[in-house]
Amino acid sequence: MAIMRLNVGPIHPSTHGVLRLVVDVDGDTVKSVEPHIGFLHRGVEKLMENRMYMQSPSYVEKLDYVAPLSWDDLYVAAVEQATGILCKERAQFARVVLLEFQRIASHLLWLGTFANDVGQLFTLFMWCFRERAMILKLLEDVSGSRMFYVNLRLGGLYQDLPSDFKDRAYKLADYLEGKIVEYPDVLDENPIFLERTKGIGVLGKEDAINYGVSGPVLRASGIEEDTRKSNPYYTYGRIKFRIPTGNRGDSYDRYKVRYEEMLQSIRIIRETLDLMPDKGDVIGLPIKLIGPNAKPAPVMISRELPRGEGMIYMIPDKQKPYRISMRSPAFVNLAALPKMSENCKFADLFPTLGSIDIVLAELDR
Amino acid sequence: MNDMPYTPEQFMNAEQEMDQLLEQSAEKYKVSTNAMFAKLSDLANLTLDDLKRWSRANSLWPMQFGLACCAMELLDFGSARIDAERKGYLLFRGTPRQTDVMIVAGWVTKSMVPRVKRLYEQMAKPSYVIAYGECATSGGPWWQSYNIIQGIDQVLPVDVYVIGCPPKPENLFAGLMKLQDKIRGNVVGDTERSISENARRTENKRV
Repeated sequence: MAIMRLNVGPIHPSTHGVLRLVVDVDGDTVKSVEPHIGFLHRGVEKLMENRMYMQSPSYVEKLDYVAPLSWDDLYVAAVEQATGILCKERAQFARVVLLEFQRIASHLLWLGTFANDVGQLFTLFMWCFRERAMILKLLEDVSGSRMFYVNLRLGGLYQDLPSDFKDRAYKLADYLEGKIVEYPDVLDENPIFLERTKGIGVLGKEDAINYGVSGPVLRASGIEEDTRKSNPYYTYGRIKFRIPTGNRGDSYDRYKVRYEEMLQSIRIIRETLDLMPDKGDVIGLPIKLIGPNAKPAPVMISRELPRGEGMIYMIPDKQKPYRISMRSPAFVNLAALPKMSENCKFADLFPTLGSIDIVLAELDR
Repeated sequence: MNDMPYTPEQFMNAEQEMDQLLEQSAEKYKVSTNAMFAKLSDLANLTLDDLKRWSRANSLWPMQFGLACCAMELLDFGSARIDAERKGYLLFRGTPRQTDVMIVAGWVTKSMVPRVKRLYEQMAKPSYVIAYGECATSGGPWWQSYNIIQGIDQVLPVDVYVIGCPPKPENLFAGLMKLQDKIRGNVVGDTERSISENARRTENKRV
Protein backbone atom coordinates (compact mmCIF):
# COMPACT_ATOMS: atom_id res chain seq x y z
CA MET A 1 0.00 0.00 0.00
CA ALA A 2 1.03 3.55 -0.51
CA ILE A 3 2.40 5.39 2.47
CA MET A 4 0.23 8.22 3.75
CA ARG A 5 1.58 11.15 5.73
CA LEU A 6 -0.58 12.34 8.62
CA ASN A 7 -0.19 15.52 10.61
CA VAL A 8 -1.18 15.36 14.28
CA GLY A 9 -1.25 18.50 16.34
CA PRO A 10 0.02 20.93 17.51
CA ILE A 11 -3.39 21.30 19.08
CA HIS A 12 -4.79 17.86 19.64
CA PRO A 13 -6.51 16.35 22.68
CA SER A 14 -4.07 13.45 23.03
CA THR A 15 -0.70 15.07 22.48
CA HIS A 16 -0.46 16.35 26.09
CA GLY A 17 0.17 19.90 25.06
CA VAL A 18 1.27 21.52 21.85
CA LEU A 19 3.30 18.78 20.24
CA ARG A 20 3.18 18.19 16.52
CA LEU A 21 3.74 14.70 15.16
CA VAL A 22 4.24 13.93 11.49
CA VAL A 23 3.33 10.29 11.09
CA ASP A 24 3.85 8.10 8.01
CA VAL A 25 1.31 5.29 8.01
CA ASP A 26 1.03 2.26 5.80
CA GLY A 27 -2.60 1.27 6.22
CA ASP A 28 -2.90 1.23 10.01
CA THR A 29 0.77 0.59 10.71
CA VAL A 30 3.05 3.42 11.73
CA LYS A 31 6.16 3.52 9.57
CA SER A 32 7.85 6.57 11.02
CA VAL A 33 7.11 9.29 13.57
CA GLU A 34 8.73 12.68 13.58
CA PRO A 35 8.07 14.92 16.59
CA HIS A 36 8.16 18.66 15.91
CA ILE A 37 8.65 20.82 18.98
CA GLY A 38 9.15 24.47 19.81
CA PHE A 39 5.57 25.76 20.01
CA LEU A 40 6.08 26.85 23.62
CA HIS A 41 9.61 28.19 23.30
CA ARG A 42 10.06 31.45 25.17
CA GLY A 43 13.76 31.56 25.92
CA VAL A 44 13.86 30.83 29.65
CA GLU A 45 17.61 30.48 29.79
CA LYS A 46 18.12 33.84 28.12
CA LEU A 47 15.63 35.50 30.47
CA MET A 48 17.36 33.97 33.49
CA GLU A 49 20.69 35.43 32.43
CA ASN A 50 19.15 38.85 32.94
CA ARG A 51 17.69 38.18 36.39
CA MET A 52 19.24 38.12 39.85
CA TYR A 53 19.63 34.62 41.26
CA MET A 54 16.54 34.47 43.43
CA GLN A 55 14.28 36.12 40.88
CA SER A 56 14.53 33.06 38.68
CA PRO A 57 12.83 30.27 40.70
CA SER A 58 9.47 31.38 39.41
CA TYR A 59 10.76 30.91 35.84
CA VAL A 60 12.17 27.50 36.66
CA GLU A 61 8.92 26.32 38.22
CA LYS A 62 7.03 27.03 35.04
CA LEU A 63 9.29 24.66 33.15
CA ASP A 64 7.60 21.61 34.56
CA TYR A 65 4.15 22.65 35.58
CA VAL A 66 3.18 19.16 36.70
CA ALA A 67 5.92 19.01 39.34
CA PRO A 68 7.09 22.61 39.85
CA LEU A 69 8.80 22.05 43.18
CA SER A 70 11.26 19.56 41.73
CA TRP A 71 12.71 22.03 39.24
CA ASP A 72 12.66 24.75 41.88
CA ASP A 73 14.72 22.51 44.13
CA LEU A 74 17.17 21.73 41.33
CA TYR A 75 17.75 25.39 40.59
CA VAL A 76 18.00 26.48 44.22
CA ALA A 77 20.48 23.67 44.87
CA ALA A 78 22.58 24.90 41.96
CA VAL A 79 22.60 28.43 43.37
CA GLU A 80 23.41 27.08 46.84
CA GLN A 81 26.38 25.26 45.39
CA ALA A 82 27.52 28.35 43.53
CA THR A 83 27.26 30.63 46.55
CA GLY A 84 28.56 28.04 49.02
CA ILE A 85 25.51 28.09 51.29
CA LEU A 86 24.60 24.84 53.01
CA CYS A 87 21.00 23.79 53.50
CA LYS A 88 19.92 23.60 57.15
CA GLU A 89 19.34 20.11 58.49
CA ARG A 90 15.64 20.32 59.30
CA ALA A 91 15.05 22.11 56.02
CA GLN A 92 16.66 19.16 54.22
CA PHE A 93 14.13 16.79 55.79
CA ALA A 94 11.29 19.15 54.98
CA ARG A 95 12.45 19.44 51.37
CA VAL A 96 12.58 15.67 50.97
CA VAL A 97 9.03 15.32 52.30
CA LEU A 98 7.70 18.08 50.04
CA LEU A 99 9.58 16.76 46.99
CA GLU A 100 8.23 13.25 47.45
CA PHE A 101 4.70 14.55 47.85
CA GLN A 102 5.25 16.50 44.65
CA ARG A 103 6.48 13.34 42.92
CA ILE A 104 3.33 11.48 43.95
CA ALA A 105 1.16 14.35 42.70
CA SER A 106 2.97 14.33 39.37
CA HIS A 107 2.62 10.58 38.94
CA LEU A 108 -1.07 10.77 39.91
CA LEU A 109 -1.72 13.32 37.19
CA TRP A 110 0.18 11.18 34.72
CA LEU A 111 -1.78 8.08 35.68
CA GLY A 112 -5.13 9.83 35.28
CA THR A 113 -4.36 11.20 31.84
CA PHE A 114 -2.66 7.98 30.72
CA ALA A 115 -5.77 5.99 31.63
CA ASN A 116 -7.74 8.42 29.47
CA ASP A 117 -5.35 7.81 26.57
CA VAL A 118 -5.75 4.08 26.82
CA GLY A 119 -9.51 4.26 26.93
CA GLN A 120 -10.25 3.83 30.62
CA LEU A 121 -12.24 7.02 30.39
CA PHE A 122 -12.44 9.33 33.40
CA THR A 123 -12.90 6.84 36.25
CA LEU A 124 -9.25 6.80 37.17
CA PHE A 125 -8.92 10.44 36.18
CA MET A 126 -11.45 11.41 38.84
CA TRP A 127 -9.83 9.16 41.44
CA CYS A 128 -6.33 10.50 40.77
CA PHE A 129 -7.44 14.11 40.91
CA ARG A 130 -9.22 13.47 44.20
CA GLU A 131 -5.92 12.36 45.76
CA ARG A 132 -3.91 15.04 43.98
CA ALA A 133 -6.16 17.73 45.43
CA MET A 134 -5.30 16.52 48.95
CA ILE A 135 -1.56 16.81 48.23
CA LEU A 136 -1.96 20.24 46.70
CA LYS A 137 -3.87 21.34 49.79
CA LEU A 138 -0.97 20.36 52.04
CA LEU A 139 1.57 22.04 49.76
CA GLU A 140 -0.63 25.11 49.62
CA ASP A 141 -0.75 25.33 53.39
CA VAL A 142 3.03 25.02 53.57
CA SER A 143 3.85 27.46 50.80
CA GLY A 144 0.82 29.70 50.37
CA SER A 145 0.21 28.91 46.73
CA ARG A 146 -1.75 26.17 45.05
CA MET A 147 0.37 25.37 42.06
CA PHE A 148 3.57 27.42 41.88
CA TYR A 149 5.01 27.29 45.38
CA VAL A 150 8.08 29.48 45.19
CA ASN A 151 8.93 28.56 48.76
CA LEU A 152 12.54 27.40 48.59
CA ARG A 153 15.18 29.89 49.63
CA LEU A 154 18.95 29.65 49.83
CA GLY A 155 19.61 27.38 52.82
CA GLY A 156 16.04 26.48 53.64
CA LEU A 157 12.41 27.40 53.15
CA TYR A 158 10.84 30.84 53.18
CA GLN A 159 8.85 30.38 56.37
CA ASP A 160 8.50 27.94 59.21
CA LEU A 161 6.48 24.82 58.67
CA PRO A 162 2.94 24.72 60.10
CA SER A 163 2.89 23.45 63.69
CA ASP A 164 0.87 20.36 62.75
CA PHE A 165 2.93 19.61 59.64
CA LYS A 166 4.16 16.20 60.83
CA ASP A 167 0.73 14.97 61.87
CA ARG A 168 -0.84 16.07 58.63
CA ALA A 169 1.93 14.56 56.54
CA TYR A 170 1.61 11.22 58.34
CA LYS A 171 -2.15 11.24 57.91
CA LEU A 172 -1.89 12.21 54.26
CA ALA A 173 0.62 9.40 53.62
CA ASP A 174 -1.77 6.91 55.21
CA TYR A 175 -4.69 8.26 53.21
CA LEU A 176 -2.74 8.13 49.94
CA GLU A 177 -1.55 4.60 50.51
CA GLY A 178 -5.08 3.43 51.26
CA LYS A 179 -6.36 4.97 48.03
CA ILE A 180 -3.45 4.14 45.73
CA VAL A 181 -3.60 0.41 46.45
CA GLU A 182 -7.13 0.44 45.04
CA TYR A 183 -6.01 1.53 41.56
CA PRO A 184 -4.86 -1.88 40.26
CA ASP A 185 -8.45 -3.11 40.67
CA VAL A 186 -9.46 -1.12 37.62
CA LEU A 187 -6.15 -1.42 35.74
CA ASP A 188 -4.42 -4.74 36.32
CA GLU A 189 -7.65 -6.72 36.03
CA ASN A 190 -8.91 -4.75 33.07
CA PRO A 191 -8.35 -6.78 29.87
CA ILE A 192 -8.59 -3.70 27.64
CA PHE A 193 -5.91 -1.90 29.62
CA LEU A 194 -3.65 -4.95 29.53
CA GLU A 195 -4.20 -5.51 25.79
CA ARG A 196 -3.36 -1.92 25.00
CA THR A 197 -0.25 -1.63 27.17
CA LYS A 198 1.45 -5.04 27.33
CA GLY A 199 4.01 -5.46 24.56
CA ILE A 200 3.26 -2.00 23.16
CA GLY A 201 5.94 0.64 22.78
CA VAL A 202 8.84 -1.61 23.67
CA LEU A 203 12.20 0.04 24.33
CA GLY A 204 14.97 -2.48 24.86
CA LYS A 205 17.82 -2.19 27.36
CA GLU A 206 20.50 -1.23 24.84
CA ASP A 207 18.26 1.21 23.03
CA ALA A 208 17.36 2.85 26.33
CA ILE A 209 21.03 3.44 27.09
CA ASN A 210 21.84 4.59 23.57
CA TYR A 211 18.99 7.08 23.47
CA GLY A 212 20.02 8.47 26.86
CA VAL A 213 16.56 8.20 28.42
CA SER A 214 16.25 8.54 32.18
CA GLY A 215 13.77 8.21 34.98
CA PRO A 216 10.89 5.73 34.89
CA VAL A 217 11.36 5.14 31.16
CA LEU A 218 14.91 3.93 31.77
CA ARG A 219 13.94 1.89 34.82
CA ALA A 220 11.10 0.19 32.96
CA SER A 221 13.70 -1.09 30.50
CA GLY A 222 15.41 -2.92 33.33
CA ILE A 223 18.21 -0.59 34.38
CA GLU A 224 18.42 0.24 38.06
CA GLU A 225 19.52 3.85 37.93
CA ASP A 226 18.28 6.55 40.23
CA THR A 227 20.12 9.72 41.20
CA ARG A 228 18.65 9.46 44.67
CA LYS A 229 20.60 6.20 45.12
CA SER A 230 23.64 6.62 42.91
CA ASN A 231 24.44 10.16 44.00
CA PRO A 232 22.39 10.77 47.13
CA TYR A 233 21.55 14.33 48.07
CA TYR A 234 19.80 15.75 51.14
CA THR A 235 18.82 12.85 53.40
CA TYR A 236 18.23 10.21 50.76
CA GLY A 237 21.45 8.45 51.78
CA ARG A 238 20.05 7.71 55.23
CA ILE A 239 16.75 6.26 54.05
CA LYS A 240 16.05 2.74 52.87
CA PHE A 241 14.00 2.46 49.73
CA ARG A 242 13.83 0.30 46.66
CA ILE A 243 14.20 1.31 43.03
CA PRO A 244 11.35 -0.34 41.12
CA THR A 245 12.36 -1.70 37.71
CA GLY A 246 10.64 -3.47 34.87
CA ASN A 247 12.10 -6.00 32.48
CA ARG A 248 10.25 -5.70 29.16
CA GLY A 249 10.33 -1.94 28.66
CA ASP A 250 6.77 -1.66 27.36
CA SER A 251 3.99 0.76 28.32
CA TYR A 252 2.74 -1.58 31.01
CA ASP A 253 6.15 -1.63 32.70
CA ARG A 254 6.34 2.14 32.60
CA TYR A 255 2.95 2.29 34.32
CA LYS A 256 4.02 -0.30 36.87
CA VAL A 257 7.32 1.47 37.63
CA ARG A 258 5.54 4.76 38.27
CA TYR A 259 2.92 3.02 40.36
CA GLU A 260 5.57 1.35 42.52
CA GLU A 261 7.44 4.67 42.77
CA MET A 262 4.39 6.24 44.37
CA LEU A 263 4.38 3.57 47.06
CA GLN A 264 8.15 3.98 47.54
CA SER A 265 7.67 7.73 47.87
CA ILE A 266 5.15 7.14 50.64
CA ARG A 267 7.74 4.95 52.34
CA ILE A 268 10.38 7.66 51.97
CA ILE A 269 7.98 10.23 53.41
CA ARG A 270 7.28 8.08 56.46
CA GLU A 271 10.94 7.33 57.15
CA THR A 272 11.92 10.96 56.66
CA LEU A 273 9.23 12.12 59.04
CA ASP A 274 10.48 9.57 61.60
CA LEU A 275 14.00 11.00 61.38
CA MET A 276 12.93 14.64 61.16
CA PRO A 277 13.64 16.71 64.31
CA ASP A 278 10.61 18.38 65.82
CA LYS A 279 12.30 21.68 66.39
CA GLY A 280 14.94 23.58 64.52
CA ASP A 281 15.42 26.35 62.04
CA VAL A 282 14.18 25.91 58.49
CA ILE A 283 14.17 29.50 57.33
CA GLY A 284 16.65 30.35 54.60
CA LEU A 285 18.03 33.64 53.36
CA PRO A 286 15.34 36.15 52.47
CA ILE A 287 15.12 37.26 48.86
CA LYS A 288 17.32 40.26 48.39
CA LEU A 289 18.20 41.68 45.04
CA ILE A 290 21.84 41.93 46.13
CA GLY A 291 22.58 38.53 47.64
CA PRO A 292 25.85 36.82 48.51
CA ASN A 293 28.36 36.73 45.66
CA ALA A 294 28.72 33.46 43.79
CA LYS A 295 32.06 31.78 43.17
CA PRO A 296 33.10 31.83 39.53
CA ALA A 297 33.57 28.04 39.26
CA PRO A 298 31.04 26.35 36.94
CA VAL A 299 28.29 24.36 38.63
CA MET A 300 26.90 21.07 37.38
CA ILE A 301 24.17 19.48 39.43
CA SER A 302 21.62 16.77 38.86
CA ARG A 303 18.45 15.71 40.63
CA GLU A 304 15.94 12.92 40.18
CA LEU A 305 12.83 14.65 38.90
CA PRO A 306 9.55 12.79 38.42
CA ARG A 307 10.26 12.61 34.69
CA GLY A 308 13.90 11.61 34.89
CA GLU A 309 17.26 13.08 35.61
CA GLY A 310 17.32 16.85 35.33
CA MET A 311 20.60 18.73 35.21
CA ILE A 312 21.67 22.34 35.43
CA TYR A 313 24.98 23.56 34.12
CA MET A 314 25.66 27.09 35.23
CA ILE A 315 28.56 29.46 34.85
CA PRO A 316 27.96 31.91 37.69
CA ASP A 317 28.64 35.57 37.62
CA LYS A 318 28.55 37.58 40.84
CA GLN A 319 24.84 38.31 41.13
CA LYS A 320 23.33 36.48 38.20
CA PRO A 321 24.24 33.55 36.00
CA TYR A 322 26.55 34.33 33.10
CA ARG A 323 25.22 31.31 31.23
CA ILE A 324 22.78 28.66 32.33
CA SER A 325 21.80 25.51 30.52
CA MET A 326 19.25 22.93 31.55
CA ARG A 327 18.92 19.29 30.62
CA SER A 328 15.27 18.42 30.31
CA PRO A 329 14.56 14.71 30.84
CA ALA A 330 11.33 14.91 28.84
CA PHE A 331 13.24 16.21 25.80
CA VAL A 332 15.60 13.25 25.82
CA ASN A 333 12.81 10.77 26.51
CA LEU A 334 10.73 12.06 23.62
CA ALA A 335 13.61 11.35 21.26
CA ALA A 336 13.01 7.66 21.90
CA LEU A 337 9.40 7.84 20.67
CA PRO A 338 10.19 6.95 17.02
CA LYS A 339 12.06 3.87 18.24
CA MET A 340 9.26 2.85 20.61
CA SER A 341 6.50 3.22 18.05
CA GLU A 342 8.26 1.40 15.23
CA ASN A 343 5.73 -0.70 13.30
CA CYS A 344 3.02 -0.27 15.93
CA LYS A 345 -0.61 0.41 15.11
CA PHE A 346 -1.68 4.03 14.80
CA ALA A 347 -4.06 3.72 17.77
CA ASP A 348 -1.17 2.56 19.95
CA LEU A 349 0.92 5.63 19.16
CA PHE A 350 -0.84 7.81 21.71
CA PRO A 351 -0.71 5.42 24.67
CA THR A 352 3.00 5.10 23.91
CA LEU A 353 3.39 8.86 23.80
CA GLY A 354 1.42 9.16 27.03
CA SER A 355 3.55 6.55 28.77
CA ILE A 356 6.69 8.67 28.26
CA ASP A 357 5.12 11.46 30.35
CA ILE A 358 6.22 14.53 28.47
CA VAL A 359 5.76 18.12 29.57
CA LEU A 360 5.97 20.46 26.62
CA ALA A 361 7.00 23.58 28.50
CA GLU A 362 10.04 21.80 29.86
CA LEU A 363 10.79 20.36 26.45
CA ASP A 364 10.71 23.66 24.59
CA ARG A 365 12.15 25.85 27.36
CA MET B 1 -59.83 68.32 -29.78
CA ASN B 2 -58.65 71.80 -28.92
CA ASP B 3 -61.78 72.42 -26.84
CA MET B 4 -60.92 69.78 -24.43
CA PRO B 5 -60.27 71.25 -20.99
CA TYR B 6 -57.21 69.13 -20.43
CA THR B 7 -54.39 67.61 -22.39
CA PRO B 8 -53.97 63.83 -22.63
CA GLU B 9 -50.82 64.09 -20.43
CA GLN B 10 -52.81 65.81 -17.73
CA PHE B 11 -55.42 63.10 -18.02
CA MET B 12 -52.79 60.45 -17.56
CA ASN B 13 -51.44 62.29 -14.52
CA ALA B 14 -54.90 62.59 -13.06
CA GLU B 15 -55.42 58.91 -13.48
CA GLN B 16 -52.18 58.23 -11.58
CA GLU B 17 -53.18 60.68 -8.86
CA MET B 18 -56.49 58.92 -8.53
CA ASP B 19 -54.75 55.61 -8.18
CA GLN B 20 -52.49 57.05 -5.46
CA LEU B 21 -55.46 58.49 -3.60
CA LEU B 22 -57.19 55.16 -3.76
CA GLU B 23 -54.15 53.39 -2.45
CA GLN B 24 -53.74 55.90 0.38
CA SER B 25 -57.34 55.59 1.40
CA ALA B 26 -57.12 51.83 1.24
CA GLU B 27 -54.13 51.96 3.59
CA LYS B 28 -55.80 54.50 5.82
CA TYR B 29 -59.00 52.61 6.28
CA LYS B 30 -57.62 49.13 5.94
CA VAL B 31 -58.93 46.79 8.58
CA SER B 32 -56.07 44.48 9.23
CA THR B 33 -57.26 40.93 9.33
CA ASN B 34 -54.11 39.65 10.98
CA ALA B 35 -53.69 42.38 13.58
CA MET B 36 -53.65 39.85 16.33
CA PHE B 37 -50.93 37.86 14.60
CA ALA B 38 -48.88 40.97 13.96
CA LYS B 39 -48.82 41.75 17.64
CA LEU B 40 -47.93 38.18 18.47
CA SER B 41 -45.02 38.28 16.00
CA ASP B 42 -43.72 41.44 17.68
CA LEU B 43 -43.83 39.61 20.96
CA ALA B 44 -42.13 36.64 19.40
CA ASN B 45 -39.33 38.87 18.08
CA LEU B 46 -38.79 40.24 21.54
CA THR B 47 -38.72 36.90 23.25
CA LEU B 48 -36.72 35.24 20.51
CA ASP B 49 -33.85 37.58 21.30
CA ASP B 50 -34.16 36.79 24.97
CA LEU B 51 -34.49 33.13 24.19
CA LYS B 52 -31.30 33.26 22.13
CA ARG B 53 -29.40 34.92 24.93
CA TRP B 54 -30.82 32.55 27.49
CA SER B 55 -29.92 29.47 25.49
CA ARG B 56 -26.46 30.76 24.56
CA ALA B 57 -25.70 31.67 28.15
CA ASN B 58 -26.80 28.31 29.46
CA SER B 59 -25.02 26.07 27.00
CA LEU B 60 -21.42 27.16 27.00
CA TRP B 61 -19.23 24.56 25.35
CA PRO B 62 -15.57 25.21 26.12
CA MET B 63 -12.87 23.86 23.85
CA GLN B 64 -10.32 21.36 25.12
CA PHE B 65 -7.37 23.55 24.33
CA GLY B 66 -4.48 23.68 26.75
CA LEU B 67 -1.33 25.58 25.94
CA ALA B 68 0.77 25.62 29.10
CA CYS B 69 0.65 25.60 32.89
CA CYS B 70 -2.91 26.83 33.22
CA ALA B 71 -4.08 23.72 31.38
CA MET B 72 -3.34 21.80 34.60
CA GLU B 73 -5.90 23.94 36.37
CA LEU B 74 -8.29 23.35 33.48
CA LEU B 75 -7.90 19.62 34.12
CA ASP B 76 -8.69 20.24 37.76
CA PHE B 77 -11.69 22.30 36.66
CA GLY B 78 -12.92 19.27 34.75
CA SER B 79 -12.45 16.90 37.66
CA ALA B 80 -14.82 16.10 40.48
CA ARG B 81 -13.87 18.75 43.04
CA ILE B 82 -15.50 21.53 41.02
CA ASP B 83 -18.70 20.20 39.58
CA ALA B 84 -18.80 22.46 36.53
CA GLU B 85 -21.78 20.79 34.90
CA ARG B 86 -24.20 22.11 37.46
CA LYS B 87 -23.99 25.52 35.77
CA GLY B 88 -24.12 24.19 32.24
CA TYR B 89 -20.42 24.30 31.42
CA LEU B 90 -20.44 20.91 29.84
CA LEU B 91 -17.65 18.59 28.89
CA PHE B 92 -14.68 19.95 27.02
CA ARG B 93 -14.91 19.11 23.34
CA GLY B 94 -11.95 18.12 21.25
CA THR B 95 -12.90 19.91 18.05
CA PRO B 96 -13.46 23.65 17.62
CA ARG B 97 -16.53 23.09 15.44
CA GLN B 98 -18.56 21.90 18.41
CA THR B 99 -17.53 24.67 20.79
CA ASP B 100 -18.23 28.32 21.39
CA VAL B 101 -15.93 29.23 24.28
CA MET B 102 -12.17 29.33 23.86
CA ILE B 103 -10.24 29.36 27.11
CA VAL B 104 -6.73 30.50 26.25
CA ALA B 105 -4.72 28.84 29.00
CA GLY B 106 -1.07 29.73 28.73
CA TRP B 107 1.40 31.89 26.90
CA VAL B 108 0.96 32.25 23.15
CA THR B 109 4.17 32.08 21.18
CA LYS B 110 4.60 33.65 17.78
CA SER B 111 4.49 30.26 16.11
CA MET B 112 1.18 29.46 17.85
CA VAL B 113 -0.57 32.71 16.86
CA PRO B 114 -1.76 31.63 13.37
CA ARG B 115 -2.95 28.32 14.77
CA VAL B 116 -4.90 29.89 17.61
CA LYS B 117 -6.41 32.31 15.11
CA ARG B 118 -7.49 29.48 12.84
CA LEU B 119 -9.06 27.63 15.76
CA TYR B 120 -11.01 30.75 16.64
CA GLU B 121 -12.26 31.08 13.10
CA GLN B 122 -13.35 27.44 13.07
CA MET B 123 -15.46 27.79 16.20
CA ALA B 124 -19.24 28.01 16.03
CA LYS B 125 -20.36 31.64 16.05
CA PRO B 126 -21.02 33.56 18.23
CA SER B 127 -17.82 32.54 19.95
CA TYR B 128 -16.34 33.88 23.14
CA VAL B 129 -12.77 34.08 24.34
CA ILE B 130 -11.58 33.88 27.93
CA ALA B 131 -7.99 34.89 28.67
CA TYR B 132 -7.06 32.55 31.51
CA GLY B 133 -4.02 33.52 33.51
CA GLU B 134 -1.39 36.22 33.40
CA CYS B 135 0.33 34.98 30.26
CA ALA B 136 -2.80 35.11 28.14
CA THR B 137 -3.76 38.44 29.69
CA SER B 138 -0.52 40.37 29.34
CA GLY B 139 2.39 38.04 28.66
CA GLY B 140 2.95 37.45 32.38
CA PRO B 141 6.49 36.62 33.48
CA TRP B 142 7.58 36.16 29.86
CA TRP B 143 6.74 39.73 29.02
CA GLN B 144 10.29 40.49 27.90
CA SER B 145 10.72 37.32 25.90
CA TYR B 146 11.44 37.54 22.18
CA ASN B 147 9.03 34.80 21.19
CA ILE B 148 5.85 35.77 23.05
CA ILE B 149 2.93 38.02 22.24
CA GLN B 150 1.98 40.18 25.20
CA GLY B 151 -1.52 38.91 25.70
CA ILE B 152 -4.00 37.11 23.47
CA ASP B 153 -6.05 40.32 23.12
CA GLN B 154 -3.54 41.45 20.51
CA VAL B 155 -4.94 38.76 18.25
CA LEU B 156 -8.45 37.82 19.40
CA PRO B 157 -11.29 39.82 20.97
CA VAL B 158 -11.34 38.83 24.63
CA ASP B 159 -14.57 38.74 26.63
CA VAL B 160 -13.38 37.91 30.12
CA TYR B 161 -9.94 38.11 31.72
CA VAL B 162 -9.28 35.69 34.57
CA ILE B 163 -6.16 36.74 36.43
CA GLY B 164 -3.80 34.78 38.62
CA CYS B 165 -0.71 32.70 38.02
CA PRO B 166 -2.34 30.29 37.57
CA PRO B 167 -5.86 31.29 38.59
CA LYS B 168 -7.57 28.77 40.80
CA PRO B 169 -10.27 26.66 39.13
CA GLU B 170 -12.77 28.57 41.23
CA ASN B 171 -11.66 31.72 39.44
CA LEU B 172 -12.42 30.15 36.09
CA PHE B 173 -15.85 29.24 37.41
CA ALA B 174 -16.40 32.88 38.39
CA GLY B 175 -15.11 33.96 34.97
CA LEU B 176 -17.57 31.72 33.16
CA MET B 177 -20.40 33.08 35.31
CA LYS B 178 -19.27 36.58 34.34
CA LEU B 179 -19.36 35.55 30.69
CA GLN B 180 -22.90 34.27 31.17
CA ASP B 181 -23.88 37.61 32.64
CA LYS B 182 -22.33 39.33 29.66
CA ILE B 183 -24.17 37.17 27.16
CA ARG B 184 -27.44 37.84 28.96
CA GLY B 185 -26.73 41.56 28.65
CA ASN B 186 -26.46 42.16 32.38
CA VAL B 187 -22.99 43.64 32.27
CA VAL B 188 -22.74 47.33 31.58
CA GLY B 189 -20.15 48.21 29.00
CA ASP B 190 -18.65 46.39 26.09
CA THR B 191 -21.40 43.92 25.29
CA GLU B 192 -21.47 44.94 21.66
CA ARG B 193 -19.03 42.38 20.37
CA SER B 194 -20.38 39.34 22.05
CA ILE B 195 -23.95 40.06 21.03
CA SER B 196 -23.50 41.44 17.54
CA GLU B 197 -20.95 38.85 16.44
CA ASN B 198 -18.52 41.47 15.19
CA ALA B 199 -15.52 39.24 15.50
CA ARG B 200 -12.65 41.33 14.26
CA ARG B 201 -13.23 44.61 16.07
CA THR B 202 -10.49 44.32 18.64
CA GLU B 203 -8.05 42.96 16.15
CA ASN B 204 -8.56 45.87 13.80
CA LYS B 205 -8.07 48.22 16.68
CA ARG B 206 -4.81 46.86 17.98
CA VAL B 207 -2.86 44.91 15.39
